[in-house]
Amino acid sequence: MKIKQQEPASLQQQTTPMIDVTFQLLTFFMFTLKIVGPEGDFNINMPPPGAGAAKSEVLPDIKVRLVAAADGGLASLRLGERQLGNGPGAFQTLNNEILKLIGRENSARSKEIEVEIDADYHLNFDFVVKAIGACTGRLSPDGKTIIRYVEKIKFAPPKQNPDA
Amino acid sequence: MKFKSPPMPSAEMDMTPMMDLTFQLISFFMMVTNFDQTQVDERVRLPTDALAKPPEMKVEHELVVNIGFKRAKDGSRLDPLPFVFLPGEELRVPEYKQRLLQEARIYQAKSVKLADVTIVVRADADVPTGQVQEFIKLSQDAKFEKFALRAQQPTD
Repeated sequence: MKIKQQEPASLQQQTTPMIDVTFQLLTFFMFTLKIVGPEGDFNINMPPPGAGAAKSEVLPDIKVRLVAAADGGLASLRLGERQLGNGPGAFQTLNNEILKLIGRENSARSKEIEVEIDADYHLNFDFVVKAIGACTGRLSPDGKTIIRYVEKIKFAPPKQNPDA
Repeated sequence: MKFKSPPMPSAEMDMTPMMDLTFQLISFFMMVTNFDQTQVDERVRLPTDALAKPPEMKVEHELVVNIGFKRAKDGSRLDPLPFVFLPGEELRVPEYKQRLLQEARIYQAKSVKLADVTIVVRADADVPTGQVQEFIKLSQDAKFEKFALRAQQPTD
């Protein structure tokens, strides 16, 4: 009598569930991916009102005034009483003038001196950040480190909304 | 006479190259996904400055707040006043006060001093500065003391 041998069970692993999970993972990572450029922070010194931050009597605050145009653009940039204009060159001039005021980069003065940014209510925030950048310092020639001019930056007391 | 039929060619596809490629794609997306940036809202167009370098040390306690405009597809503003963007909702800057007080209570419940918490302001480049200052004032009222203004490096 001829006995028919049973076919051996397949040794091949079932890959379908793994493929399912893998594609789900791939879809998840594809949808959650956010392409964001490098971001950095400018620290500002804003103690609560009445906290009485230690103030240097020898070194008065440097006052930077930003006047807004009707469309939120920059009408004029002033350092103390000095007009620096309103174009892109104004912020470079501010940067140079701040360096003159502190004497040299990373000096002891740069840790003590404080810059007060006084901007109009409707001025676009972009210009304030540019002014803070110009007061903070400049990039080293290799572009890797920040050469600090001023470390303490604060805002002047907020102005009322003229439209309110 | 009995004829033995030749075995049928296998209809199963070889999945190995596809799986290799899929795993490589997963590895790529896992590497480039930055879970730190989950608080980033893409609607905010940050101001740019060359000095905006990513910090070398990570701040332990930070509260990221996105302030920006609702915009049409062409980039024009749908509303002249900015909103604070939260997951699933948008609030006006003064309306965010309650949330700030809530956040302050949460930090205090976790025994974190509010003086150690940095509020990171991710404000749109076109937001009126007065609105950012109003937000800082509200945060000061909620007893937060440290602030950082976020900017982006120019892409060129």
